[in-house]
Amino acid sequence: MPKKEKGKKAKRDSEISGSEITRRTMLKISAAAGAGTVLAPMILTSRKSTVYAQGTVAEPVLCAPTPVPQSPPHTPFVDDLTVPSPAIPQFLSPAPTEAANIGGGEAARDPHQRWAEFTPAVTYQLEARAGTHQFHRDYLPSYIWGFNGQYPAPTVLNAYGVPSIVRFKNSLPASTTSFGTNTTTVHLHNGHTGSESDGFAGDFFSPGLFKDNHYCNAYAGIDDFGGFPKGDPREAQYTMWFHDHMMAETANNNYLGMNGSYLLYDQKSPPWEFATSGSLRLPAYYGITDIPLILSFKRFCATNSTTGRTEMFQVVGAAAPGTDKFTVNGKIQPKLSVRRRKYRFRLINTGVVLNWNFSLHGPDGVQKRMTVIAADGNLLRQPADVSSTSGFPTLEVHVASRMDVIIDFSQFNVGDSVYLKENTQTAQFVSTPTPPDPAPGVPIGTVVMRFDVIGNATIPDTPPIPDTLTELPPIPAAQPGGPFEWGFRFIPGQADGNNFRVSHSSIPDDNASHVATFLPFDPFRVDHAVLRGSTEEWIIRNDTLAGNWLHPVHIHLEEGRILERKVCTVPSATGCAPANRTPVTMPPWEDGNNARRDVYPVPGQHSLKIRLAFRDFHGRYLIHCHNMNHEDAFMMVRWDVVESMAELRKRREQINAERIARGDVPLYRKEDLG
Amino acid sequence: MRRRMFLTNLGSDKPSGAPPLPVQGVPHAGSPGPAIFTNALLRTHENKQVRFYDDLIKGKQVLMNLMYATCEGACPLVTSSLVKVHQALKDRMGKDLFMYSLTVKPEVDDPQALKDFAEMHRALLPGWTFLTGDPYDMETIRYRLFAMNHIAIDTNIYGHTSFLLIINDATNRWLHVDPLASMSTVLRKISWADPPKTRQQIMEENRKLQEQIDKERRIFGYRMNA
Repeated sequence: MPKKEKGKKAKRDSEISGSEITRRTMLKISAAAGAGTVLAPMILTSRKSTVYAQGTVAEPVLCAPTPVPQSPPHTPFVDDLTVPSPAIPQFLSPAPTEAANIGGGEAARDPHQRWAEFTPAVTYQLEARAGTHQFHRDYLPSYIWGFNGQYPAPTVLNAYGVPSIVRFKNSLPASTTSFGTNTTTVHLHNGHTGSESDGFAGDFFSPGLFKDNHYCNAYAGIDDFGGFPKGDPREAQYTMWFHDHMMAETANNNYLGMNGSYLLYDQKSPPWEFATSGSLRLPAYYGITDIPLILSFKRFCATNSTTGRTEMFQVVGAAAPGTDKFTVNGKIQPKLSVRRRKYRFRLINTGVVLNWNFSLHGPDGVQKRMTVIAADGNLLRQPADVSSTSGFPTLEVHVASRMDVIIDFSQFNVGDSVYLKENTQTAQFVSTPTPPDPAPGVPIGTVVMRFDVIGNATIPDTPPIPDTLTELPPIPAAQPGGPFEWGFRFIPGQADGNNFRVSHSSIPDDNASHVATFLPFDPFRVDHAVLRGSTEEWIIRNDTLAGNWLHPVHIHLEEGRILERKVCTVPSATGCAPANRTPVTMPPWEDGNNARRDVYPVPGQHSLKIRLAFRDFHGRYLIHCHNMNHEDAFMMVRWDVVESMAELRKRREQINAERIARGDVPLYRKEDLG
Repeated sequence: MRRRMFLTNLGSDKPSGAPPLPVQGVPHAGSPGPAIFTNALLRTHENKQVRFYDDLIKGKQVLMNLMYATCEGACPLVTSSLVKVHQALKDRMGKDLFMYSLTVKPEVDDPQALKDFAEMHRALLPGWTFLTGDPYDMETIRYRLFAMNHIAIDTNIYGHTSFLLIINDATNRWLHVDPLASMSTVLRKISWADPPKTRQQIMEENRKLQEQIDKERRIFGYRMNA
């Protein structure tokens, strides 16, 4: 590069814009020297996502792992909150096929289930590749891995009754100086999908390949409910997110940015606000009154002016220092201009490790009301308030959990600033000296973002939130034979993953009787088999002492209903006697009579009793802790849905035999074998 | 220049991506080098002096774990698992893949003690080196490479982390795996630090995997181990 300075400027511009090329940046780039060389590949990029794009993203120069750096300072509330652009449907070439198109470069998989029944009507392509993203105005761009090179990824907006294919293409670099692993598998959390489209952790594929995930976009219960869209409409899920689920490397890949949101609409929750048949008339204009807030914890290296980057610092993996910045939609302490009306915010905790605990505060520091309407993307039967008087002063959003809240800004005056506060995590580092509190009792480091009330509503406000949002399907009766218990234990000297396993509730399973039989996740080992169409009761318990990690447990395929949460009255690190477990009152967004969940938070000494049905699909699914460091440490178990009683019996006998062979007690009793 | 590169990329079977592909033996541009690994003077179980980075790691793919000769807790299990890893990869061991076991008790573990330990565990194998050295150096290496940033774990050498560190200095890949995970998992993770595969290799592996899936579906009616 002869004209070093100008060339660098052009490169930086191209990196900032990433794949969102605007006319303005094009002009800016043309103005810079060396425009010809930079522009040529970028024109190609803007038309269709191509592999050439990678050439424009320089690999990061990471800072030394020790000493752990403090992130560079930032000025609060200078960047506007950005909303990820919607993914644009596109024709796919080669066209999607039922069986994997191996010759065309598709990753090996089972054929799609229910392909003829749910012929894809709309297709998308999201290409995982390196890119850059600027987290704050005071920062230079950071190296990321994102879908279409963007962080957060484009949002997939779709509707029930419109089956889709999302083609996930792996164009990650063959060799990287960063800390990601360039093989990937993408899970739609918590899509009701066949296992070949579920992003099973062991189904990762290499750069150069793609994989078509087939999303039926039908409600659960397809087998039992006809109609259009197919399935039981009470099983609707609205706020989902897709993310890398790479076995053992999920935390790194997600931290690098491989996630995005996936929203579904139906009659009840359509993408408009005016009255239509069956509509709840919630705030609904994507990006305007219905905004995903994709939340993450980060730490950054010092800004490197030579490389023109402010790289992310690796906080996951074996050596895991804490984080010191909060990001929302990829921005640190952003601001959002709002008008005096209701807004729907879809809080999505993308982790990778920590949980959020939110409250909303006005300019005087006084706590204000947020109304929870959906938990994990599922409408609550009745909405519930988070306020100083509702009995639930803060809203916990665990890793991978989604909480849809409605904030009514008509309770504020024009000119007011409103703060979203994080209550439990260490406050983020802002700058030295720490700026003053923006509102009494709201330290600046605890503020996640600020809402600025700039005027009265222009789009008319939606009607009051209905008292009843939805009817929940009845909690199904469990098959005789259960329940099965999934237990977390702490065994000194053992990796976390070795402390999670399934047992039968009829067999005492405490630390005293079982120490050595725990096994880390293995994609080839099945620990539990269930029958398609059946319902089981599962108990998820965490026998570690209070103060140890809370495990946000996630179950693939189906939503569950929490029947009971209990805590051990006689804390013990070696397991709790059933008599010592007493029920705890659950918040309305957890209680199975009011909510459906797919993330089950289990603190130490707690146990949750849940019930879930296994419908419509068969294959390999997972239960795991969604603290991504924990799942990478193999706190994860494969379980399979099988098609027939005969097969169930065969598989369960096999699981019993394998357990006995490794010196364990059998999992299934005679009556469980059918 | 850039234009030419992408034109040639189109024709080659190189995995896409502009940065030059790593060459085994040559440290990656992103390698932290001796600044992090240290170049401490260590002693092997054969009583040879080696420089930690220059002689053992530079440009190489290596597996590392911690141990001490009198350890009775997890060490026997871990070591027996590592012996199996060695068996599975014996064609590469000592050529393009190396194993290092570092003692956390250098004050007592002299080369002979390490040799005895290796002998007892049938671990006196080509490409597998047991290492001791100045306690300060060994502690530094332990903190730099194996720290969990968890005070209770890091300050207790008996809680030495039982994971297997996988580093390829030529590709700058750092991974770790629980050696007590299934052998297929351990080997898979080690392979993620291998030099990048060509497009042909990737396509071929993918085709074979699909064959295996199809075969299992024919035999069992479902996908089991593929």
